[in-house]
Amino acid sequence: MLSTAATVGLAGCNGDSMDLGLFNRRQAPPAALGSAQQRRDPALSGDGRLLASIVEASGRSRVLLQEQPGGRVLPLRHLRGHLPHRSPALSWNGRYLAVLLQQGHQTMAAIEDRLTGRLLRLPPPPGARVEQLSLAPDGQTLALQLVQGGQQRVQLFDLSTLLEPDRAAGLRSSNALP
Amino acid sequence: MHCHESSVMRAPRLTSGLLLSALLPALISGCMGAMPVPLNGLNRQLEQAGGHRSPAMGERWLAVIEQRGGREQVQLIDLQQQQPVPLPGLNRADALPISVSVDARGERLALVRQLEGRSEVVVYRRSLQSLQPIAMGPGAIATAIGLRADGRQLAVQVSRDGLWQIDLVALP
Repeated sequence: MLSTAATVGLAGCNGDSMDLGLFNRRQAPPAALGSAQQRRDPALSGDGRLLASIVEASGRSRVLLQEQPGGRVLPLRHLRGHLPHRSPALSWNGRYLAVLLQQGHQTMAAIEDRLTGRLLRLPPPPGARVEQLSLAPDGQTLALQLVQGGQQRVQLFDLSTLLEPDRAAGLRSSNALP
Repeated sequence: MHCHESSVMRAPRLTSGLLLSALLPALISGCMGAMPVPLNGLNRQLEQAGGHRSPAMGERWLAVIEQRGGREQVQLIDLQQQQPVPLPGLNRADALPISVSVDARGERLALVRQLEGRSEVVVYRRSLQSLQPIAMGPGAIATAIGLRADGRQLAVQVSRDGLWQIDLVALP
């Protein structure tokens, strides 16, 4: 694995910008050895241990889950297909990974529970197209950005009857991931 | 995948957004058998307030970019109180917000915005009402942002030399 802490360069010091110093900034570790792939849609777990992003390879966009800062790629049980993926989100300890995926002609939200290996799929309302999602850190609320009737709108959904909370250390009510 | 097929394709076409919200649980299926519950009160408020995009969730907070009257601005909504909270000093009439993120406590917001033809990254601390620009280095154009739930790190999507990359920035 390549060095995982490749610095981007000198931290900014122009004008009133925050001086973050050389070691406070780095690029996300590469998805594969020697690769220079397009990376977008970054999402960090609340504990900072995991980074989810979308990697474009061979014209396909797929979600990639990596440990931080080492960059080791973690397997995903359900999210190998149904491309393209976009807009990933992680819960506090990374138990839940939410992402938009393609199923047939429809884009829908899906949440993989990495502890149990189960998958929750959330098709959008009829006539609506889902464009972006956000998962609350505890995994109890989901926000979807929808386009319907030419207008962008955001809708919220309570997941507390579906998912155990994934809270910060000390407040954890679900089992810890290895 | 081993999920049952969704029932959504067989659902009748509905015209009202609010009606859709109310009926959405019946239209959703998943491997877990139960249905998520739309937060109808908040969804109704959001719909009545105009268009919104770029949602970002905290524990009890929703940060969004609100579109109203031809302008866009960042809004932070307290989900328990079901109303927005003031963000003095964050929104500017001459800036176009592009992407927003919030920490779990609703204390820090991170924002990518376009100002005077350039993209800039700023971190707003609500308790201090302070706004701090974050330098992204020469040649980097920020377009999307994710703030870690504990507020200690930024993940920024940047375009650099034609390549989309992700920069991770530790925050003091």
